[in-house]
Amino acid sequence: MTDLALPISRSPRNAMPYRTRRRLFLLLMVAPAIVYVVLIALWPLAQGIVYSFFDYSLLRPASTSYVGLDNYRALFSDTTVRTALVNTFLFTFGAVALEFLFGLGLALLLWRDDRFNRICLSLLLIPVTVTPLVVGLIFKAMLSPDYGAIGYFAAEWGLSGEHGFLGETSSALMTIIMIDVWEWTPLMALILLAGLKSLPTDILEAAQVDGARPLQRFRIVVLPLLLPSTFLALVLRMMDAFRVFDIIFVSTGGGPGDATDTLMIYSVKQGLQFFNVGFASAIASVMTILIGIMAVIFILVVKPAEARNG
Amino acid sequence: MARAIVRGGGVPSGSAGKQGMRRAEARSILYRRVAVIVILAVFLLPLLWLLSTAYKPTRDIFATPPTLLFSPTWSNFTSVFRYFDLPELLWSSIVISLGSTVLSLLLGVPAGYALARAKFRGAVGVAYFFLAIRTVPPVATLIPFYILMRDIGLLGTWWAVILINTSLNCAFVVWMMYAYFRSSPISIEEAALTDGCNDWRTFLTVALPAVVPGIIASAIFCVMFSWNDFLFAMFLTRAETKPISVALLSAYGTKDISWGTLGALAHFSTLPIILMMLFLNRYFVQGLTKGVN
Repeated sequence: MTDLALPISRSPRNAMPYRTRRRLFLLLMVAPAIVYVVLIALWPLAQGIVYSFFDYSLLRPASTSYVGLDNYRALFSDTTVRTALVNTFLFTFGAVALEFLFGLGLALLLWRDDRFNRICLSLLLIPVTVTPLVVGLIFKAMLSPDYGAIGYFAAEWGLSGEHGFLGETSSALMTIIMIDVWEWTPLMALILLAGLKSLPTDILEAAQVDGARPLQRFRIVVLPLLLPSTFLALVLRMMDAFRVFDIIFVSTGGGPGDATDTLMIYSVKQGLQFFNVGFASAIASVMTILIGIMAVIFILVVKPAEARNG
Repeated sequence: MARAIVRGGGVPSGSAGKQGMRRAEARSILYRRVAVIVILAVFLLPLLWLLSTAYKPTRDIFATPPTLLFSPTWSNFTSVFRYFDLPELLWSSIVISLGSTVLSLLLGVPAGYALARAKFRGAVGVAYFFLAIRTVPPVATLIPFYILMRDIGLLGTWWAVILINTSLNCAFVVWMMYAYFRSSPISIEEAALTDGCNDWRTFLTVALPAVVPGIIASAIFCVMFSWNDFLFAMFLTRAETKPISVALLSAYGTKDISWGTLGALAHFSTLPIILMMLFLNRYFVQGLTKGVN
């Protein structure tokens, strides 16, 4: 962040001092994006929070009335919301934890920088680019107990219930988590691999010269250096998992019963299928608050860590 | 596993018989490659399986027990053309993703530049603000946005989907370009400015060419996000403006439409993005690692 050299212009056209002109220019460059995001993202977000205090249904808009915190009270006594909240957290932490573990294993396998590994990494990234909707369809079909390539044999050999992995209350959420793991582990591997490649080689060599065993080296040297550089990626992945929609909507639609309902699925159902805008907005606002809390925790954890590492 | 691992980091191993070391090294590389191939199969076979249903006649898809053998057919592709107006669906997807990409780049690239070059302390905070926008649950903005679009008469048009996709995509582009501009050297820009080149021309002719990989990566992600989106498109488009993702979902619920037809339709939904990613792999990988660090 060095200061720009300041050309002193003497032409009357540029009566404004350079510094001010430069600042104005940069402000004009960033303004359109800020205005756009405020209008198209923040404004609706605020509008949604306002809606959450109203009894507002698109089916009978004439009878809209201010109800204070009633939607929030209804929300906390709604058993589906409670299930959805638990499911959302199980899904978020379960999926991201597994993705981290598998991703780390995969990154370590691909650490050596050669042609074979680079090609495999590109191919591995294919699931990341596949429409999440199609990902849902793939597993819906594969896991079908009637004709699916996996589901049929799983049901036949008694590994899954007769309704298949996605059709049984006991296994549906875990199956959804595994689908998410299939989709996002490669991304996690890529991020961790980038982290591994940026590790200072001299420290790794020093550890080896000092006679640290591979497992020790990994635990004491690699992991502590790797975590800070990949922490933001982990948090972002977690926030993405928190609002997952497509794969659940397609593969179970929240069912069976409410076994795979998440806050996201439930609020979309309430708002855009049953048109209970007030209630759906209350759920969405709770989600926004929870994401905010995650962000604050992230800032509190990251700032001290960054300060420590300089 | 950890044993193979840490040796993979290119750390030279000392001591012991060199010949034996080299053989052990070669063997451990071989083991790792076999493991990678197995993992690759786990990640690619499900997709290939869905795509392969497109070439199977219906009775082979529903064969019990499922079988690997089938008599290949093109009939699923002909039924895609019978049931769907495929060119129109693809055109919708293209308009939505390119529209949003162009708009996001026009808004996001200059903003990323300004934030990276500003000497104002709050610039980092503004960059994080854009990052935060991307983490807002889409349903929180979608419902009010839906009502807003209905009220101003844009509901059901491409504009509605492009506008809301752009709010997320442009926030992403700002964040990504902020990272790219920050790591691109400032000295040439300073030289241009001192030589009397004005701010705007310096941006266009000096700063931009240096971050072309970042712009390509940003574009790839914008295209991918909006092409793959179906939550927004499902509620904001109507029959004539719906993209291929929405068509896939509605087809899935229909009785007449078999898995084979779905598999055939899925080709058009997934292959463009997969091919784009494979062709522009370098930029994609670089962008993924830069955009999140």
